[in-house]
Amino acid sequence: MPRSLRSTATRVVSAALVAATALTLSGCGGSSSGSSSNGVTTISFWDNNGGPTRTPYYQELIKRFEAANPSIKVDYLGLPADSVQQKYDTAIAGGGTPDIGGVQQSYVAGLIARNALEPIDDVADSATLKGNIDPKVLDTIRSTASDKKLYMLPVSVNLDILWYRSDEFAAKKLTPPNTWDDFFTAAQALTDPAANTFGFSIRGGAGGTQALLSIMYAYSGVQTSFDSSGKSTINDPKNVEAIEKIAALYGKETSKADVTNGYKEMSAEFDGGTAAMMVHNLGSYADHQKNLGAGKFAAEAMPAAPDGTRTLVANAPDGFAVFQASQHKAEAKKFLEFMLSKDSNSYWNQNVGQLPSNLQAQKDAWVQANPALKVGQTTLAASTTHIVDVPRYLPQYGSIVESQMGPKWQQVLLGKLSAKDFADQWADLTTKAQADWVAKHPG
Amino acid sequence: MTSLPLTRSGVQAQRSAGGRVPVRANPWPGRLSRVARLYGPLALYGLFTLIPFYWMLVFAFRPAGSDRPVPWPLSFANFDTVWNGVGFSTFFLNSVLVAVSVMIATTFVAVAAGYALARFRFRGKGVFVLVLLCTQFVPGAMLLIPLFVIFKQIALINNLGSLIVIDTVFQIPLAAMLMSTFIRGIPFELEEAAMLDGCSRLQAFRATILPLMQPALVAVGSFAFIGAWNNFLFALMFISRQDRFTIPVGLSYTLGQYNIDFGALAAGGVVAAVPVVAVFAVVQRYLVQGLSAGAVKG
Repeated sequence: MPRSLRSTATRVVSAALVAATALTLSGCGGSSSGSSSNGVTTISFWDNNGGPTRTPYYQELIKRFEAANPSIKVDYLGLPADSVQQKYDTAIAGGGTPDIGGVQQSYVAGLIARNALEPIDDVADSATLKGNIDPKVLDTIRSTASDKKLYMLPVSVNLDILWYRSDEFAAKKLTPPNTWDDFFTAAQALTDPAANTFGFSIRGGAGGTQALLSIMYAYSGVQTSFDSSGKSTINDPKNVEAIEKIAALYGKETSKADVTNGYKEMSAEFDGGTAAMMVHNLGSYADHQKNLGAGKFAAEAMPAAPDGTRTLVANAPDGFAVFQASQHKAEAKKFLEFMLSKDSNSYWNQNVGQLPSNLQAQKDAWVQANPALKVGQTTLAASTTHIVDVPRYLPQYGSIVESQMGPKWQQVLLGKLSAKDFADQWADLTTKAQADWVAKHPG
Repeated sequence: MTSLPLTRSGVQAQRSAGGRVPVRANPWPGRLSRVARLYGPLALYGLFTLIPFYWMLVFAFRPAGSDRPVPWPLSFANFDTVWNGVGFSTFFLNSVLVAVSVMIATTFVAVAAGYALARFRFRGKGVFVLVLLCTQFVPGAMLLIPLFVIFKQIALINNLGSLIVIDTVFQIPLAAMLMSTFIRGIPFELEEAAMLDGCSRLQAFRATILPLMQPALVAVGSFAFIGAWNNFLFALMFISRQDRFTIPVGLSYTLGQYNIDFGALAAGGVVAAVPVVAVFAVVQRYLVQGLSAGAVKG
């Protein structure tokens, strides 16, 4: 080795070792939970979907909160949406949970089951928030816990709606579907396989069974997840009919690639002009707005059942939870109350394109001016709208819906399993899980 | 006339019988033949490998809203987003620190362990090698919680030191095996001669073995660097401070729940790939030599 190279290498090695040692020795250890010093309490806040589209708005709200509460400092940590559950799981098992964290109702039941969360009914009943958070959404969240307490509060309200390409509907002189007959007629009219354009995009891959639940209950108008004897309604004859009709669209009024569609593929088909309709929640508004621009897409409530009622499967809302291990619960709850107050909630949702959970914020001009959010708000407020609470409190819920029934939904689309058998298997698994849960939670 | 198939055995049979070997006419004359047989497949393979990189560059440098297949006019807006908006300026420095430290620590330990395995006979050596190999079968995700607890107890949570330690530990087994194979290929007589001239074992190692080990050092070091550079899981799990995350965590910020910022993702990919490409460009001539060391020795 040449002498100059050797001396350079020696210097690099020495510098790196010194730096690594210094870092190792100087780093702050301990749990992620906050600390107190000089009269200032620091609380840690984990965002469950960090990134440039959300982080700046959280940082602005934190700045406002700290200005109004000089004795509290908030440490923000943005986490990637795909890995946040694993991060929470590790933090709970290892003892490093934050004081307050962003959560989704879809996995909050698992956190409650491990006693990781603090009940926050008192925050919902605070002077700022009492009566101002959508009660239908609060009921849905309460259903997650066996003690019917609130373990999370929603930052946004979400519901599944029918997104459609208004430009393609106008070109074919079609009106937005109000009933399921309208929907199937439009799907056929908007399909032109030679031009690689299809009427609908089925979500056959990740999240497909959850989307199917929304469609089948909206079609059937069945308004409960279980009948009076505790049996799942998934295989109700009208639900089976819905599955058959949607599966019959596959490969004819949909692309054959739909069998593996997750949200991103489905949304790409819609925004790219391959599919004219898709079912998804309000969360995709910002995506369509960015990719298509105004005037090319619109939202419509899920088509009505034959009796005119609209049945929506409760969408897992995004929100905040205070963690049981927090040493600063009072400060964390104060921050939570601030985040859900009218001004903060409105600011946040306006910038991320979601419907505010605060009813006062829902009245703001920007919500009324946004056609998609207006559809969501009107649908939720309508007396003819019924919400079906799916049993997200069941420990096996995620496994049944995604892991077990997901591949079978693909078999139905490919014609390898009948809709009836599929629905029966799904209903049996859900009924059994419910019976186990009831046995463990009497009363 | 019946023609024999043009196989090696057929040709030999004709030669031994004194007959003339029928020569099949080459359908590709001269230069064209070389292009068709050598450069054609290479070009195809190159295209297959490079097209994804090309698309990454197109998305990274293309202005928002453009759908041109070439990145023109050039735009650095996506780089501004990831560097200043997402925080890559901080993540990049953290990644460099972790990867360089892991590279140095892994190489140092691997040289020592490899030398011991190659030159010494000791009781339990076979078992030790087996255990070393078995550690490669344990996925990192399985060890997350125990590691989290250990690091918490020694105050290494939220500290880049935890990443340096764990990445080094995961790199060492393969690195030590590779190093021992290489050292075994260097004749012991070289060290022996140095020791006869009065060198201690360490001096003999530095004088005779170390200069010959450059390819192995480069191979082991670059693999350790790349392994640490790309590690996402440990960086996410053991760090809970925004200013201490590394590049892979930063990249995942561009993948939202409902949306993907492809431009920022591609720009982040370019930033993440540059150091790895640079490392390979510098060390590639040593790399093959280091990896194939001992491969044909009896």
